[in-house]
Formats: sequence, C-alpha cells, structure tokens
Amino acid sequence: MNLTRRNFFRLAGAAGAAAAIKEKPAYAWQSKAPPDPYGCLVDLTRCIGCRKCEAACNRVNLLPPPDVSFDDQRVLDEKRRPDERTYTVINRYYSGKTDDRDQLIPTFVKVQCMHCQDPACVSACIVGALSKKENGAVHYDVSKCIGCRYCMVACPFEIPAYDYHNPLTPEVRKCTFCYERISEQGGRPGCAAICPVEAITFGKRSTLLQLAKDRIKKNPAVYTDRIYGEKEAGGTSWLYISAVPFEKTGFIPVPSEPLPKRSESIQHSLFSYLWSPIALYGILGGIMWTSGKKGAGEKQAPGGEK
Amino acid sequence: MKRKVGLLLLFLSAVSTGFLPAYNGQGAGNAFAAGAEEKGDAIALTETEWKAPDQMAAQIRAAEEVPFVGKVKEECLCVRQQRLRDKGLSTKDITHRYFLLDSPLIRKEEDQYGPVRFMHSKHAAVLKDCALCHHYRPVDPEAPETTRCSACHQESFQEEYPERIGLKAAYHLQCTKCHKDMQEGPVGCTGCHKKNVPDHEKLVQLPEKPEPTQVTEECLRCHQKAGEDMLSSAHWLWKGHSPYTMERRKEVLHGKGTTVINNF
Repeated sequence: MNLTRRNFFRLAGAAGAAAAIKEKPAYAWQSKAPPDPYGCLVDLTRCIGCRKCEAACNRVNLLPPPDVSFDDQRVLDEKRRPDERTYTVINRYYSGKTDDRDQLIPTFVKVQCMHCQDPACVSACIVGALSKKENGAVHYDVSKCIGCRYCMVACPFEIPAYDYHNPLTPEVRKCTFCYERISEQGGRPGCAAICPVEAITFGKRSTLLQLAKDRIKKNPAVYTDRIYGEKEAGGTSWLYISAVPFEKTGFIPVPSEPLPKRSESIQHSLFSYLWSPIALYGILGGIMWTSGKKGAGEKQAPGGEK
Repeated sequence: MKRKVGLLLLFLSAVSTGFLPAYNGQGAGNAFAAGAEEKGDAIALTETEWKAPDQMAAQIRAAEEVPFVGKVKEECLCVRQQRLRDKGLSTKDITHRYFLLDSPLIRKEEDQYGPVRFMHSKHAAVLKDCALCHHYRPVDPEAPETTRCSACHQESFQEEYPERIGLKAAYHLQCTKCHKDMQEGPVGCTGCHKKNVPDHEKLVQLPEKPEPTQVTEECLRCHQKAGEDMLSSAHWLWKGHSPYTMERRKEVLHGKGTTVINNF
C-alpha cells in the first residue's frame, strides 16, 4: 500500500514537471489580422436614426421584406438585435442628456457584425466556413458550413444568427460587410453609401482611426475620448465614436485582447508535440500498472488462504 | 319651445336607431364619388403647378459639374466672419437668388425624395452672415471668397480627403444643425423634400363604381399596418393616449368608449 501511494505521487510529480516544462511552449500565438483592411467609422453624434441603412442593407443583400416598414420610427421604442433576416439594426438610447429645451437627446446606435481583426468566430469554426478576408470582411461560406453554431457561441458581440425557420438549408447569417461590393474598385457597403449624414464613413481602417482621433481632438467637448473598436477584441474593422459613454448605449464590454489568443494558446500548447495525450495516457498507464500489481497481490493472498 | 325640444329628441332617436340614412353605405359612397371628382380637379391643378420663374435655370445649374476644390484655407470662423464683413459682402452680391439642390451626386444611391428648393437670398437676408454656410474658402487667392457647396463637397469617402464629407451629407448636416440651433426651419425629411410617392393611379385596382368596403380593402392590400394602427388608435377606440394634455392622459368618464353602447 505504502509503495503504491509513493509510486502514484512519483508519477504525478513527473507529469507535473512535464507540464511545467511545457509552460512556455514552442507555440506562440500570432495575430492573423490583415495588414490594411477596410473599415467603417460610425459617428454616433451624427446619426439621426432614419433607418435608411437598414433599408439599404435589406435591399443590397436581398433579404426578406421586414414586418414593419423601414419608415416606421416606432420600432425604435424597443431594443433590437440583428437576426437572420436583418443584418443591421438601429437602437435608440437616452443617456439622460437634455438640450436647452429640456428635451432628452437620443443617441442612435447602429448594430451589426464588427468584423474583428482576429475574429473569435473564425477561430471557433471547425470547418473554415468563416474566414477573415484581406479587405477586412469576415466572410461566411455556406458550402462549408455544417451548422454547428460554434460561431454564435464564440462571438463576443452576439452577432451571428441562425436560420432556425429553414429546416432544409439553414445558414448562419450576419452582416457581410458587403464583401462583393467592397471588393470592386470604388465599392462601398450599402449602409455607408446611403447614409444621408455620413454617420458611417467607409475607408481604410488606419485612415479611419486617424480620422476618429482628429475628430475627438478637435471637439473634445463633444466626444468621449474613446474609440470603440480600436482595441476591443483586439481591434475591429468597425469603429465607433460617441458623445455619451459606450456603457450607456448598449455597447458590450469586451476584453482588449484578441479573443482567439487565449483559446488558441491553451489549445495549441496543450496539443503541441502531443505531449498532453502522452502525459495523460502515461498517468493512466502508471495507475493501471500500480493498481494491477496491488490487485495481483490481493488475488494471491486469498488464493493462498484457500 | 317645448315642441322644438321634442322635435330635436325625435331627430336624435331617429339617428341613433338608424332610421335616418345619414351615414349609411349609400351616403358614404356618394361622398367617395364626390371625393373622386375633387381628385380629378387636383390632378388638373398639378398640371398647371406654379413654378419659380427661374426654375429651368436652377435645374441647369444643379446639373452642372463644378471643378473640385481640394485644399481650403484653414481659418477660424471668427476670423473669416470678420474678413467677410470687412470686405462688405452683402445680399447685393448674391448672383443666384434660388438654387435647386439637385446635383446628380445626390440621387446616386436613392431617389425617394424630391430635390430641396433652397432660397439663397432669403437665408442670406435672415442670417446676414455668409460665413455660417460658406465656412471655408479655396486656398487659391484668385478664387472668389464664396464658392458653391458642390465645389468642395462632391463624392463621399475620398481617400485623399477623408474628413471631406460628400455633398448630400454636407447639405444635411449643415442645414439641420443650423435649423436645430436656431430653432427655426424644418428638421424632418418632408419639411424640405417632397416625397416621391409612387403613382397610385396605376397601383390602385378598383372596379368602375366601387363599394366603400372595396375601397377600404384595396387600401389595406398594401397598407395593412396602417389599418392595424387605426384599430388601436383613439379614432377607433374613442379613448387612449392624449399626448397634448397634462400628464399625457385625458380622463373620459362619459360618452363614446365608456358609457355609451353602439357608437362605433
């Protein structure tokens, strides 16, 4: 018994040491973000909540007609999320700020896929149906998708939606960043092109970041000093600047580290050189060996008494 | 006197029991027919719609392509205002009193609204400050002090000038901001634009002499939501929110919707 116990601890110690050696693995996580992607800068101080972007999105993506007309402003009374029939929605928030006539000032927030630089959905997709393109779009390939919906679980912004009402050919659906349109020369996303006040500015992400910083610097009294999407989830192609803090307008707090960094680091370091299965089976084998020895002894003992 | 009251009571009871056909289907049908005639007149009127005498010229001006001004002189608003004042620019220097904001750039993405008819002189006379709209000037010293909006603001999202917004956004932001700040002038879409409603002459499908219910059904064929909204409104229920009264509630104790039966 004493010996068995000692053996067990020895084996466990060896496994622990092996794990400790592997603490700094050969695998170091590297971002796969495209170097010069496109992006969109949404200036919430400009948005007037006209829902033209929703209408344009519906039109250019050939989505089914909405239940309520895009001209109807009453849908803003409740908070909505994008779903399989709507890739983008506008929500209205009241932060408590009032104008000089004591009227609450609304802030309109456009919600759609943020097109992360290192998307968690792409990392989670086990068949490569989702991919981050050079132009910045997180692209979905329906021919590869097996419908596992891991992307929906992985997305920190709760964006991908599933075609639950379509039993035969369901798809994961989300904003496409108008991939085909922006791939063409001079192409722009449907929502950005139609915005009557250019609350959405389309361009290279680096240019937009500079633009956002300039706007904040020129109007420090107007904007809060933060660009949502600059660092969130390791940076996103869609960026937001606002007059009211992002916490008050339904923006989800997201860690600034790229989300796949942690999960992929854990996974890749666990499986590099197959050390973890080898260690696991080593421990199991050790337990079997010692307990087998013990069992043989016990068997012999009653046999001896007989 | 007594007889008069008696007659009135008789009249009221006749209406409530439906003896008098004042508001039955036939009556409404006639009313509709009359409405259709009026509509015909209205069409005749639109054909001879009043047009500004310089409408054609404005239309031609709107379609003109203006050479793009890339760089503008960086100066603060106060300095510019003072400079324009010193130059003695006034409403007399205005070359065009009226503009039709109808550049092809604006109609590129959608054509849901008609062009804005901008009264240049009126705005200038009211504001007495050119710099509020003409906020920058080209760097070229030879160029005139004020230029057209479409000289600087043309296509949106230009890579060389990321902060330069497109013409449509420039109009919208400039106009609505000022209208809001001054609490003067329209800020909604249809305050400035005429909405391009599709021609209902072709959309409406009705027989020669339609029944009133047929007309309602035909409207509801497309405007289903409007019908549902009507059913939940005070026009149908005879009670509901009253946004213009104190505390947004108007208490109704008697009458339609409360104590009277059969009043719809």
